[in-house]
Amino acid sequence: MEAWVKFNQVTRAGSGGLRRILAAIAPGLLLTGLLAGCATAPPPSDTANYQAYEQQNDPLEPTNRVFYAINDKIDRYAFKPVAQGYVDITTVGIRNHVGDFITNIAEPGRLVNFMFSGKPRDAGTSLVRFVVNSTVGIGGIFDPATALGYPETDTDFGLTLAEWGVPEGPYLYLPVFGPSGARDVTSLPVEFFLTPTEAAPESEALNIFGYSETALRLVNTRAQYIGPIDQIQATALDPYATFRSLYRQVRASQVTLINQRDVPTQPDWFPAPAK
Amino acid sequence: MLLRRLVLGAFASSAMILSVAGAAAAQTVPPDAAKAFITSAGQQLVAVVNSNASDDQKADQLRQLVDQIVAVDQVGDYVLGRYATVATPEQHQQYLGLFHQLLSYNITYQIKAYQGVTFTVNGTSQMGNDTIVDTTITRPGQPAADVGWAVEEVGGSPKIVDVIVAGTSLRVTERNDYASVVADNGGQVSALLNAMQGQIQRIKNNG
Repeated sequence: MEAWVKFNQVTRAGSGGLRRILAAIAPGLLLTGLLAGCATAPPPSDTANYQAYEQQNDPLEPTNRVFYAINDKIDRYAFKPVAQGYVDITTVGIRNHVGDFITNIAEPGRLVNFMFSGKPRDAGTSLVRFVVNSTVGIGGIFDPATALGYPETDTDFGLTLAEWGVPEGPYLYLPVFGPSGARDVTSLPVEFFLTPTEAAPESEALNIFGYSETALRLVNTRAQYIGPIDQIQATALDPYATFRSLYRQVRASQVTLINQRDVPTQPDWFPAPAK
Repeated sequence: MLLRRLVLGAFASSAMILSVAGAAAAQTVPPDAAKAFITSAGQQLVAVVNSNASDDQKADQLRQLVDQIVAVDQVGDYVLGRYATVATPEQHQQYLGLFHQLLSYNITYQIKAYQGVTFTVNGTSQMGNDTIVDTTITRPGQPAADVGWAVEEVGGSPKIVDVIVAGTSLRVTERNDYASVVADNGGQVSALLNAMQGQIQRIKNNG
């Protein structure tokens, strides 16, 4: 059910030129959206409706819905058909290995975010995962780290801010990038610099790798969620509201998982405290 | 006089606390019982989905099974949420009828996608009154998915009240979906009923 969120995170973490362009146009489009329209709040005396409005925390809903409709069209006519074709010519095994490779490339970014959010255990796990999977896992194609007891814990700068106590803020639906929020949108510029390819010197080969990796990442992740997204669009009364709800729930559960997994343990060699 | 009031007050409040605690305890299903219930319910679901019957026959069997193992009315009321107080008794009745129908359609929509499904029951955990039974569901050509089933005692027997996938609750998602329809139509429950009827009609036309 974290389909759209994952897909959104993938588009957010694209590489190279595409990301630069998207990062450059996003603020402009966002500003246009902000100027375009706000939802009208019901009067507080209308208790049930006012509570619903407050809980939705989506004051830009009319604009968000416009962008949702645009993204839906892009998905329907571009992403989904390509993803369907990709599923037809690949096996689950291949798609899983591609997924492992993509996850591994983003691991240094997670390491930095965990360090910033004061999660040493999670940061250590990210480091071990990157080292083990990049070497024993042959460049991240395999994921032996999970079998060794280091499962993936996802994070990004939005979740780092959440750890710092920043509330999620109003909901935002961004053109191309999809569901986000006032807090999570800050991930865009930060994630931009947190992939290993960004740190390397500019080169033609690296650009080609960046484009290929972004394309593969988009297609592979969209392919993974063909079923769930189709199901939501077929069964929800209001798919926009359903994706909004799922986005918020997934973000909350990601924070919970980060905290659950960052439990300090006492190593065997550590002396027992004096009584 | 004061002492008498205090004693009577203490007696009355302790009786109330006991009765509330008793009611809460009655709704909680012990972990082993919840596990056994989900194992049996899951086996029945898998047997129907993987049987050689036609899609229509499977849909009928699933509808009956869902009514037995899911607390549909309670889930429906949860999904309606704060608008339950706004709806008239007639609207509420009509809503529950439509909710039953939509649930059946949404389940039958997935029959084909779940052909060949298998499941294993893992551990349990407690969340409020709900006992969450964790399962792993495997489908051919799909990665394994961890699914949690929230079980509560309803009407004297264990029933499923929620499904949790990757930290998302199905009933919370549905509640937000339905609330959005009502809120976008000026708080009119009739708009929700129209949307539900429209959805049922669309499914019938496509089916």
